[in-house]
Amino acid sequence: MKITPGGVVAAEWTKFSSLRSTWITTGISVLLLIAFGMIASASFSGDTMTSVDLALSGSILAALSVGVLGALLGASEYTTGMIRATLATVPRRSPVLWSKSLVAGAAAFVTMTIGAFAAFALGSAVLNEKVGGLGLGDDGVLRALLGAGLYLGLVAVLGVALGMLVRSSAGAIAILTGALLVVPVLAPLLPDAISDAVTPYLPGNAGSAVMALAPAEGTLSPWAGLAVFAGYVAVTLAAAAYRLKKTDA
Amino acid sequence: MIQVREVTKRYGAKTVVDRLSFTAKPGQVTGFLGPNGAGKSTTMRMIVGLDAPNSGDILVNGKPYVSAKAPLREIGVLIEAKAVHPGRTAVSHLLALARTHGIPRSRVDQVLDMVGLSTVAHKRVGAFSLGMGQRLGIAAALLGDPAVVMLDEPVNGLDPEGVLWVRNLLTGLAAEGRTVMLSSHLMSEVSLIADHLVIVGRGRLLADTTVADFVTAEGVRVVTPAPDELRTVIAGPGITVTSTGAEELLVAGASAREIGLAAATRGIPLFELTPQNSSLEEAFMDLTRDAVEYEASR
Repeated sequence: MKITPGGVVAAEWTKFSSLRSTWITTGISVLLLIAFGMIASASFSGDTMTSVDLALSGSILAALSVGVLGALLGASEYTTGMIRATLATVPRRSPVLWSKSLVAGAAAFVTMTIGAFAAFALGSAVLNEKVGGLGLGDDGVLRALLGAGLYLGLVAVLGVALGMLVRSSAGAIAILTGALLVVPVLAPLLPDAISDAVTPYLPGNAGSAVMALAPAEGTLSPWAGLAVFAGYVAVTLAAAAYRLKKTDA
Repeated sequence: MIQVREVTKRYGAKTVVDRLSFTAKPGQVTGFLGPNGAGKSTTMRMIVGLDAPNSGDILVNGKPYVSAKAPLREIGVLIEAKAVHPGRTAVSHLLALARTHGIPRSRVDQVLDMVGLSTVAHKRVGAFSLGMGQRLGIAAALLGDPAVVMLDEPVNGLDPEGVLWVRNLLTGLAAEGRTVMLSSHLMSEVSLIADHLVIVGRGRLLADTTVADFVTAEGVRVVTPAPDELRTVIAGPGITVTSTGAEELLVAGASAREIGLAAATRGIPLFELTPQNSSLEEAFMDLTRDAVEYEASR
């Protein structure tokens, strides 16, 4: 009987899966992804969006939803006082953060990838006749759908890191929403030169680049975008690890 | 064994624990006593590494707690009842702790049974009463079959049956050779279980003693219609007799049994023969009077 990395991961999975809110939030995320994908696929009739773009149009809402899931998972340790039991059991502390991130990230990746493929399949079935249909074999389609799963998985990890960093559900959710939704809206208010340089690198824009079938003007290439987003997640995780290790629980 | 050595903890400008040293030994119940705000909880948090001391060091079974390979095997703690997510069931809470160490599910059921929560094992913890929360916390402390059991105010919120249960549980654990430490701000609670007392006030050590030594014998109160006659009968070296009333004497240096026998041989009637101990509670109050952090004005 001793602490093992696998044991800590198993423990975090137990914590994750034993809360009703986990299942509700995950279910809602998948539902949003599929429902918005289908609605957009059926109703959009222009030529500015491909069937993949339409199928993934629920991804912003799904990102918020899985981000909130991660944030609640991280912050609830502190808001409920559970963190004292957790850290008295794993006094080295950092394995808790890695395991929690892994569990939330993997769970979100799996469910959101399934959601993305389902949104594409169902969206294609109801696709507006004015939009050309695409198949999984077409250029970039698999990458965009898998990329959606990867991006949303990373968003869940970002949520966990923010929750563990600020130790408050409301605070973590506010920062997450701000980073993904508010900042991209405010960026165009900056002088054009600055705005054009910064916009592609904003978290939400960089991360969603991986879901675009062909990179639009002023966005990063798919994998570069995802890498930039992963960088944001890594920095937040490092800050969370530092605070976890250095401050009193 | 818990060894606390010259530990100091400050929060900002406030020193909460001030060069505190004591040892809790195996096979004993150590009572950790002090008024509210004396630094008891902070000390316990430092023992399991939740808070880091500003100076000094703490060893659990001879090594720093952080370096333990199986922390749950070294020490089981109840730091705060309800250090629990209210949305989880009692079983999943314990299972989440057990899995870190690869402790099997059967042990979870076993400790739930030990604390009497088997019937509510699948109920969500948010619906638990304070007493049930305490029992769940104690179950968590016992999970790893630890060498040291440390409980912060374990009987808070328990009903009389629960208090008795905790008392028996802790003395039983100590009898098995484990180190048992419990904190309380109530002397009456601790004196019944503890062998060893560590008393703190304002973060400082006030006394490190045994329950027996802490109770100071004051003498035997005797009520008799013939006090003068009794005085001459029991007079001897090391025995002092003071008159506390018309028919009352306070005898120090002789036991109630000796006084009673001496009186019987002379046929002196006794109406009362009572050993006088200053109560633990009074001794505790005297000791901590100057160290009370929050006091009602009078």
